[in-house]
Amino acid sequence: MLKNIQEWILLFIIVSVMVAVGNWIGYEVMPLEALPGILALVGISLVGLILHRVNPYKGIPSIAYIGILAFIVTIPGVPGAEQIVEWTSKVNLLAIATPILAYAGISIGRSWADFAKLGWKTIIVGMFVLLGTYLGSAVIAEILLRMQGII
Amino acid sequence: MEGKALGLWKDWRLHAVVLAIVIVTELIGQHSISIGAGIILLLPMLYAVIIGISIYFTPIVTKKQSENAETLVYITLTLLIAKFGVQAGPALPQLIAAGPALILQELGNLGTILIALPIAVLLGLKRESIGMTHSIGREANLALITDKFGLSSPEGRGVMSMYIFGTVFGSIFIGLASGFLATTLPLHPYSFAMATGIGSGSMTAAALGPLVAAFPDMADTITAFSGASNLLTSVTGLYASILIGLPLTEKFYKVLTKRREKNSAENMMASKLDAESNVGVITEKVTDDTKSKVVK
Repeated sequence: MLKNIQEWILLFIIVSVMVAVGNWIGYEVMPLEALPGILALVGISLVGLILHRVNPYKGIPSIAYIGILAFIVTIPGVPGAEQIVEWTSKVNLLAIATPILAYAGISIGRSWADFAKLGWKTIIVGMFVLLGTYLGSAVIAEILLRMQGII
Repeated sequence: MEGKALGLWKDWRLHAVVLAIVIVTELIGQHSISIGAGIILLLPMLYAVIIGISIYFTPIVTKKQSENAETLVYITLTLLIAKFGVQAGPALPQLIAAGPALILQELGNLGTILIALPIAVLLGLKRESIGMTHSIGREANLALITDKFGLSSPEGRGVMSMYIFGTVFGSIFIGLASGFLATTLPLHPYSFAMATGIGSGSMTAAALGPLVAAFPDMADTITAFSGASNLLTSVTGLYASILIGLPLTEKFYKVLTKRREKNSAENMMASKLDAESNVGVITEKVTDDTKSKVVK
């Protein structure tokens, strides 16, 4: 357990450097300015991972702990909420997404041979599968948001 | 998956490559291509995934790095999830107001079945199409289909091929499509934001990126809605597949193939091509019907 936490922290340090660098080059936020926000996000993620590890019931995915925890600590009125919101607003979402997809790309390379073997029918169906879920959800959301007069 | 994370920090070669990718792609920056009324947004993360795949085929990284990268995707993704969360907290009043839309749009994930299954059947795919179209075919669905049919069954082959498709091409495709659809279709960016929770972290990031970039004024609310939808899908997705998605796919498959058989029997003399175009008309009608139901 301790060994795991140690490993997570080391990995978070590495990933934080990438986010800070991307945030600096792409979105012109100085790394020092972004540091408190990155630390806050790392802290929340770490606590979420630990909570998932210690709870013997594994039916809840660890990202659910992380998402809910991050949500709770930033609800207006919760002590420190404003501070966390201000800090993390300096960390651009796209600066986090870039290293994720860079790691993903290297990981995906392994599946390329299998991908190349898929027939054209699978590729077509696959695109409609993704479009189906995306548009399906967007249309339902649009209808309800309009009915409620939110948009 | 996080249990495997031992000694990965020592893989300096992997981290150096990713850092280099981040620097290069962020320096290239964001570009856009106009196609008619729509815009395709080219974001650093999109170049990053393509450069990442290409680098796998150079001697710079080996299979070992590629395997380690998988856990790093997960670790980095937790930061994105945390970012989603901290955007959602301040937006609590909006989330409550939009609650019904947020919850019901989860049913939109069944859109895969209504749109993709008729196409799969039309293309002549058999029971593979059930595995392919009952969901977007990520890890949890792979497990579900394996459990129910076995991985070597037609359904198993179907979900496996969709898994491979989604793994390799999913984030690239949805990243390109998201910006284009949001700038061409008359739907509000908030609706698209809620739709980004499709059950895969990297695909959610890829779909959300162009929305945030295209509508910077609404970025905060878009991120909050996307995060809430992603969270809902991650918790409810598998159960929705078990209780609704898979049974619905099997029923719909039976309806589609029965009509097909009936048609070919009626048109004994007609050529196979004719029978197939008949099925085409019918399946189109079915999707139209279901669509109009949704609109009503």
